Amino acid sequence: MAKSKQDPILHAAADWWVRLRAPDAEGETIEQWLAWTGEDQRHLEAFERVNQLASQFGSLDSVTRQGLIKAFGRTVMPQRRWMPLAAAASFVAVMLGGAYITWVWFNHVNIEVYHSAIAQNRDITLPDGTQVALGAASTMTTHFSRGQRQIDLTSGEAFFTVVHDNSRPFVVGAGDISVRDIGTAFDVRRTGDRVTIAVTQGRVQVSNISEKPGASQGGTLGVTAGQLVSYDPNTSAMSMGSMTAEQATGWQDHRLEFVDEPLSVVIANLNRYSPQPVHIADTDLDKLTYTGLIRTDAIDSWLDALPKLYPLRVDTHGNQVILSDEQPATHR
Amino acid sequence: MGKLSALAFEGMTTVTLSEHVEEIEKLFREHNRALIAFLQCRLNSHSDAQEVAQDAYLRMLTLENREDVESLRSYLFRIAGNLAIDRLRKRKVRGDFVAVQSQDEPMGEESPVHHAIAVEQVAGLRKALSELPPKTSQAFVLHVIEGRDFGSIAQTMNLSERMVRYHVTNALAHCRALVDEQETP
Repeated sequence: MAKSKQDPILHAAADWWVRLRAPDAEGETIEQWLAWTGEDQRHLEAFERVNQLASQFGSLDSVTRQGLIKAFGRTVMPQRRWMPLAAAASFVAVMLGGAYITWVWFNHVNIEVYHSAIAQNRDITLPDGTQVALGAASTMTTHFSRGQRQIDLTSGEAFFTVVHDNSRPFVVGAGDISVRDIGTAFDVRRTGDRVTIAVTQGRVQVSNISEKPGASQGGTLGVTAGQLVSYDPNTSAMSMGSMTAEQATGWQDHRLEFVDEPLSVVIANLNRYSPQPVHIADTDLDKLTYTGLIRTDAIDSWLDALPKLYPLRVDTHGNQVILSDEQPATHR
Repeated sequence: MGKLSALAFEGMTTVTLSEHVEEIEKLFREHNRALIAFLQCRLNSHSDAQEVAQDAYLRMLTLENREDVESLRSYLFRIAGNLAIDRLRKRKVRGDFVAVQSQDEPMGEESPVHHAIAVEQVAGLRKALSELPPKTSQAFVLHVIEGRDFGSIAQTMNLSERMVRYHVTNALAHCRALVDEQETP
């Protein structure tokens, strides 16, 4: 078993194979599976290899099949080693049984992957009733077990309106950063390893989980409604600012709001909504910062206005928009 | 896709025909591999998957209410899923589950070399299965070889369907990894 655990893609492929086998698996499940295959070409390859193996088993000649069914398909008798201890031990047995069931229950984690396309926001209701508005070109994975609700935001942005449950903490992970809900609505945006968290209601605890425990107490911050936390992976620093609920959730209404953010971060987020990918050709442009609003339904006009704000050129090459230094290349 | 376009001409006479054919061709280019993988998962046979996919594209081409369909891709997978269910049902009725499946990769009679490979493969699969916990290999064999659904296996094994799926997943990942290891020494 150790070998299969070493390859998470193969294990995920096997998991998808089993899920898609059910004839009632359609619509949402298939869309999620397609999103998963689109994430990495190795995903579909691994799935095809699982397919090939299963077809191989299924196409064996009938003698071999019967042999395998006889050898492995028999009913396994439950192990009852404790039976000789007889009635006096039955109490212990019940306890053991109970412990086992609890263990399985506690260890059972239901994993779902949610994905959205470029320029498409999605509204999702999680099994616990929590509402998620998933931004465009974003991916998140939910791991729900009886004692924990863990969400991993792999890329992009999501706004959570959490149904609070003291016995089942709700935690959003985004790279180095972990956000724990304390009765809340909040927005998490991940651009590479840079993370911003804006709280619109209630309170959250934000921790840097990459920090060594006990290194400093600065690792955990309490953040309340109206506050904004930005995490910079280069300096491992978290800085506080403020943002209204309207600003934080503007993206659900075609408005992207930025407060003093590097141009590279602004462009990366813009690209989640832009049918034409925008590239920054000269790295010194990354240092520019931007504060303001971009309408995702009017990206072109924002790009057109950009040379008035900054010393840069905007060119279109085929399906791409290129931002480069103001001087033509020949002057350099 | 040339063949598909020709078929569409027989069935459709609207002005937007070529546009629609283009859409379906795009769907084919971008998602055919995933569609075949999806169908092979359902049918456990590559050749059956190809046949059903062909049928599904044909239905897409002769689609009448294009404007009612929000996402062509979702619709394609839905049609394909339904066709796969029909096919599984027919297999059951004819009782030729074994026969249909063994058409896929014929083994045994053709040549001695073929036969030798098959024997070796079976030994490898058997070894992989024997390394698994008994319940894991049992759930797997009942599902993949005997062709029983998760619900009926759950009843036989007195487990939840979820646990049956869990066992089958583990068995698949384990056997695949082990067979890969054997194939690349």
